[in-house]
Amino acid sequence: MTNRLTILLRVRIAYVFVLLFSFGILYKIVRIQTVDGGKWKKKAEAIGLQYRNVKATRGNIYSDNESLLATSLPFYKLAIDPSIASDKVFKSGIDSLSRLLSRHFKDLSAQDYKRRINDARIEGRRYLRLNRQKINYLAKKEMNDWPIFREGRMKGGVLYEKVDERFHPFSYLGYRTIGTTDEENRGVVGLEYSFNQYLMGKSGKALYQKFSGGSWKPVFDGTEVKPQNGLDIVSTINVDLQDVAESALVKALYANDADYGCVVVMEVATGEIKAISNLSKNSRGEYWENYNYAVGSQGSREPGSTFKLASMIALFEESRISLLDTVDTGDGEMAFYDQVMKDHKPGGYGKLSVQEVFEKSSNIGTAKLIVDEFGDNPKRYTDLLEKMGLTKPLGFQMVGEGKPYIKTPEDSTWSGVSLPWISHGYELTMTPLHTLTLYNAVANNGKMIQPLIVKQVKTADRVVEEFKSKVINPKICSDITLVKVKEMLEGVVTRGTASNISDSYYQIAGKTGTAKHVVNGRYTSKYYTSFAGYFPAEKPKYSAIVVIDNPKSYRIYGSDVAAPVFKDIADKIYAIDMELNNPFEGKEVMAGIFPVIRAGHQEELKEICNEFGISNHIKGEATWTKASISNNAIAWKPLKYQDTVVPDVRGMTLRDALFILENKHIKVKYSGLGRVTDQSVLPGVRINDDLSIELKLG
Amino acid sequence: MIKEWVDRHIKGDPVIWFIVITLSVLSILVVYSATGTLAYTRMEGDTEHYLIKHSLLVLLSWGAMWLAHKIDYRYYSKLSRLALWLSVPLLFITWKFGMNINEASRWITVPFINQAFQPSDLAKFALIVTLASMLAKRQENIEDIKESLIPMLLWIGLICGLIAMTNLSSAALIFVTCMVIMFIGRVPVKYLALLVLIGVLAGATALAIGQRGGTAVSRIESFLSADDIPFQAEQSYIAIANGGLVRFAPGKSQQKNFLPHPYSDFIFAIIVEEYGMLGGALVLFLYLALLYRGMKIVSTSEKTYGGLLAAGLSFALVMQALVNMAVAVGLVPITGLTLPLVSMGGTSQLFVGVAIGIILSVSRGELEETGTTQSGNQVRNEKMELA
Repeated sequence: MTNRLTILLRVRIAYVFVLLFSFGILYKIVRIQTVDGGKWKKKAEAIGLQYRNVKATRGNIYSDNESLLATSLPFYKLAIDPSIASDKVFKSGIDSLSRLLSRHFKDLSAQDYKRRINDARIEGRRYLRLNRQKINYLAKKEMNDWPIFREGRMKGGVLYEKVDERFHPFSYLGYRTIGTTDEENRGVVGLEYSFNQYLMGKSGKALYQKFSGGSWKPVFDGTEVKPQNGLDIVSTINVDLQDVAESALVKALYANDADYGCVVVMEVATGEIKAISNLSKNSRGEYWENYNYAVGSQGSREPGSTFKLASMIALFEESRISLLDTVDTGDGEMAFYDQVMKDHKPGGYGKLSVQEVFEKSSNIGTAKLIVDEFGDNPKRYTDLLEKMGLTKPLGFQMVGEGKPYIKTPEDSTWSGVSLPWISHGYELTMTPLHTLTLYNAVANNGKMIQPLIVKQVKTADRVVEEFKSKVINPKICSDITLVKVKEMLEGVVTRGTASNISDSYYQIAGKTGTAKHVVNGRYTSKYYTSFAGYFPAEKPKYSAIVVIDNPKSYRIYGSDVAAPVFKDIADKIYAIDMELNNPFEGKEVMAGIFPVIRAGHQEELKEICNEFGISNHIKGEATWTKASISNNAIAWKPLKYQDTVVPDVRGMTLRDALFILENKHIKVKYSGLGRVTDQSVLPGVRINDDLSIELKLG
Repeated sequence: MIKEWVDRHIKGDPVIWFIVITLSVLSILVVYSATGTLAYTRMEGDTEHYLIKHSLLVLLSWGAMWLAHKIDYRYYSKLSRLALWLSVPLLFITWKFGMNINEASRWITVPFINQAFQPSDLAKFALIVTLASMLAKRQENIEDIKESLIPMLLWIGLICGLIAMTNLSSAALIFVTCMVIMFIGRVPVKYLALLVLIGVLAGATALAIGQRGGTAVSRIESFLSADDIPFQAEQSYIAIANGGLVRFAPGKSQQKNFLPHPYSDFIFAIIVEEYGMLGGALVLFLYLALLYRGMKIVSTSEKTYGGLLAAGLSFALVMQALVNMAVAVGLVPITGLTLPLVSMGGTSQLFVGVAIGIILSVSRGELEETGTTQSGNQVRNEKMELA
């Protein structure tokens, strides 16, 4: 036989083998379809396969300095497919595994665990949840080294099913604003809801098989789609300020037994909301974050006297009336058609200047001024309100913003009393946030900006989207008007209705508000109290509003209920915020021809300067004083000391500082020589019983 | 016009051309259906994504086939030796640093074009071509162990051993294919028996030190135990049972949703589910026909090299196809082998194209040689003298 023939023969033999193998394949198809066909079709119905979502990890919510406000922590349900491990792996590992499980969960004995797993293995079960308790990541890592488990899911059968749980590192701080999520990992309220689309991420998909008891076991095939994790959002909330606002509010709510209260603190220049707290009383008489009254529609109420600011702006924009012009408010009662308007003071205020009308919050005065100016053309008044940006929603980032309602003469409900009543904050509704936006605009030199609560969307360190606050109105009124209203707002605190909070180390400007509740169209003796303002008045950094609804102890006015909360918050913020505390002014005095005199007893310093022929003059009488230079002369600025706060002793000699501090029962430690350059507790901090302070001299 | 163009540019066995085109059309239909789930989960419902990608690859593989069939097959002898040398470091790199897909590192990414590619495809192909050429050269002293058997065995052992590190079933199939080619190339049966022994030893070594030992053992174990049927097999049987004897339901497969890799490893089950047993049998027949045409070249080819080359490549393709089908019906344990010419498979589709192109080139080469028999024979005679 030639080589060629042999090759031909052999290739045919090989072909025959292939042919036989093909018959085998055909035979198997026939067999599967006929003999076993019923079995497979039945199995197809019973097998319960389903593509199920694999949840993506929800993004984090950060504070303004990137502390975590809300995050998702992974927990795992621990289960095993007991049929997977080989006999060798199973037999050698089951005893120590049971022991480790028992030691970890501390509920069943090692024998119990062993029996459960063994039984499941013998029954041929494919899924056994080892414990109801979820394990955390560290425990999971540890368990990866346990016998049987260490073989992995393919060879050991261990199953870790990830479940995310929302965790708030600051507990209930800003709870309602941050918001909550449901079991499906969706935001229900707050930022979690408003920014859900960013936070949620995209679910992946995996094929699961159903096992008895309703549990689903992933099949782990190749078609698994990895979930895309959610993005992080960076809010403007400052944890320290939030804490200050919340603790001040809760204290006041308990003291006044109020229904609810809210506080919003905003940064003047940026519109960033630094703190926002809403607390309402629950059935057990405790205060909880339950509804966002500051933003939401339920919080849109008749603002009362805080709205007089808008009326005054409208008045000054329209007429040349001066702060000193007078108006007769009469005996405290005045009829407008069928309605009688009253002032707080029994017997009335009599003749008041425009400034006093505002500072003493005379309803009659305000109404008369507005009716005199706009009575012929009320439309002009409502147009001015619209121009100020008070009639449209703010377009705030959080969903469910309460819309303002201010009627116009075109409305069917407009009546003769509408104008006087709107002028002092009735017959209209606004959210506290909207009122604050107006006060912030005044503080911000007339520039009204949209409040901002989320400034960035990020993933890891990459910024995906940035939010900037929009300008609602670049100038709500003229500069002259601004000067006037600012002076009046400061006057409210120095002389007016809020003079009870005037003893701060810095100047607060603001307005009180007390509105009666309307029930079935009639005014009741329940009150909605508020204080809106900004500080420090000379160079406003923060604006804030405090609202306390239905205080039930003897205090009912905005000045008594809401204003002290404002001051409490402002004082603390002032103490915390380093930027607000100017660097020591005395330093400039050193330069040039002036001797080292910075601060001290006014009489003594004056005498010394006169002796040396240094020109000096006094700006306000006070016992203690601080030097500043104006036109080649020393100006003595009074240092106002209040009993309750730490005074400024910088620039003084040790003798003077000790005298002042120890008179306030503050314990003093000092180091160095010379005058005080630094004090460890900043001026403006409230003094408590055993405060001690360290002074640095130099 | 068209006929003229075809006559001038499309050469070689027309039956093979017909089979390839038929299978390619079927391939596009079934892959479109089978990637539906994948498209929904990964491509946000862009079902055309994989259709377009796969169709493009089919066209590209036709292009590769056409180019390969234009080249005289004698060049492949030298080319394959080069490719074989190249594949050794590539396989090694893949084993140690390759990309992990489904827990086995079988892929490396080609720089610049960023396409994943399996060096074992290249190695397998180069090995078969080289083996055909070595066998052809040693026809006269085929029984000489030292001169003939050892060099071939060294290559087979090295390549199969390296592939086995990451892909045991592929290595086993290549080894069996090589045995068949050597059997056809007149290697004495007693040597082949020795070879089986070496194969088993190599396999055992790979089991011990490679990545896939555990998987192989568990798959064989589950294949041998009757009542513990793996998930994939179970889903595949359901698909086949759904199909019935006669059915024409393109795109109506239900099991494509649950079967892992319905567009590659288990595509035959989807074919049976959508086109019935008859459709499955037709596909089987097409492969047998392809093998038959490849085998026929052996009898018509003037040169031993050409015959062995055509037979070797046909057997390699068709045996892989049959093993893939056998997996789907449960005749052999589960392997990760694709169905050549039908499965969606990226770069491996191009290698299949080239392989078919070479078979065509051999069949075509004979036609050309009718005019130049003398020089052709001369070359052969010289070679025989050298050997």
